[in-house]
Amino acid sequence: MSKQIDLRGEICPYPMMKTVQALKKLGREDHELVVIIDHAPALETIPTQAERLGFTVEIKETGSPEWRITLTRK
Amino acid sequence: MQAQSGSLLPPTPALNFGGPRAVRGALALAAAVAVYYFAAGNEVRMGTFWVLGLAFGFVLQRSRFCFASAFRDIFLLRHGRTLKGVLVGLAVAAVGFSTLMARQVPNTALGVLPPDANVLPMGLHTVVGGILFGFGMVIAGGCVSGSIYRMGEGYVASWVSFFGIILGVLGAAYTWNWWWEFQIEDGLRLWLPNLLGHGGALVLTLAALAGLFVLTLWWESRAGVVVPDAPFQAEEEANFAARLRNLFKRIFVHGWTPLLGGAVLGGLNVVSFITERPWGFTGELSRWSIGISNSLGFGPGILKGVDALPGCTLELGDNGVLHFMLFLVLGMIYGSFLAAYFAGEFKIRIPRQRIRFVQAGGGGLIMGYGAGIAMGCTIGAFFSAIASLAVNGWVFAIFLAVGAWLGTQAIQRIP
Repeated sequence: MSKQIDLRGEICPYPMMKTVQALKKLGREDHELVVIIDHAPALETIPTQAERLGFTVEIKETGSPEWRITLTRK
Repeated sequence: MQAQSGSLLPPTPALNFGGPRAVRGALALAAAVAVYYFAAGNEVRMGTFWVLGLAFGFVLQRSRFCFASAFRDIFLLRHGRTLKGVLVGLAVAAVGFSTLMARQVPNTALGVLPPDANVLPMGLHTVVGGILFGFGMVIAGGCVSGSIYRMGEGYVASWVSFFGIILGVLGAAYTWNWWWEFQIEDGLRLWLPNLLGHGGALVLTLAALAGLFVLTLWWESRAGVVVPDAPFQAEEEANFAARLRNLFKRIFVHGWTPLLGGAVLGGLNVVSFITERPWGFTGELSRWSIGISNSLGFGPGILKGVDALPGCTLELGDNGVLHFMLFLVLGMIYGSFLAAYFAGEFKIRIPRQRIRFVQAGGGGLIMGYGAGIAMGCTIGAFFSAIASLAVNGWVFAIFLAVGAWLGTQAIQRIP
């Protein structure tokens, strides 16, 4: 199962904080969280926090400036 | 579209200067040049500060230099990536300021202060102002300079913060005379060179900055959090054109590291001081709201002692609309816009939750009040004050950190 959160328009530091919250809330059956953001500083903070929680990170640039971050449970 | 798996950070986007984008970019640059001629035609300083503002805004955006995150992330994420950049910037500025101040005040034993350095009276207003400012900037998601460069990137919430700040400094102006009599008038103005000489003051300041840098490294290692710099994806430097493209990409597209951003901002601050005065702008923002409210008859009236104080002290705004500091502020917004535009990072971003507007405006108000009584923000009362080798900069910094800690507790409770 994959879940998705759209955090576009969110101000600092909520993109990172909401991603961490969502990762912690993921159920056992959810192996993946997709995060959509347009806040560039979060490209540095989200991967670091996700790694700590045991997720791999894949970032795709989907717009200018928009990114789709896929976090997968290791 | 680019994809990359396994890596923590996204690759640098490709250069994208072709087509209608190039035309719009050229027009945006032409506008900057036109404003320069208008400003410089009025007064040379206005033109100079427009250019300086563009440079500050450009560097703030390129390195996403956020003082709020420097203080906040030490508590929130336990890493000091931006804080280390701030420390480097302070060291660069301190060296430059010291050289300049040594010429202005050759004999430090006389107890004279350099007239334009940000040596400010200390007291409870420094403490309260620091805490309020630190709290407000974390709630709002950016300090004054952070809000200014994000305005240029298209963050609507930052425009709301900016408006809050302008009203906040007006609020401070209404209470200024009370603070003046209570604390500021008799506040001690401690300039380290008066105690230690120029060399001693600079060495002590640099040693303290280096010590804090090491402490930050230790704090990061203890928490196990080190945020890596984004990798630069260079194309193979086969020929001159490819090398040139890589250079352009490094400057205009790829984000600068906070260390580089801090160092360049420190250098620009020295240029600002050589030109006129250290970097800072809350005094200018106060000039707008105090000037307008006074001219409409409901303003705070006369503010005691402000004429004799340097830095970002409140200004009455009774000297007309155009001022070189106005061009500094506008230049910073526009410089950030240009930087964001050419990097492909400009976008109008509107928060979906109404509470974010309340945070931005409320945080701005609180910040503005704090900056008003402390005579500066993270720039004027901190970045330019520590570089002025003034003790008030360190005192303000400590209470900024306290306020940022309180703010960090608060934002974790706001959904």
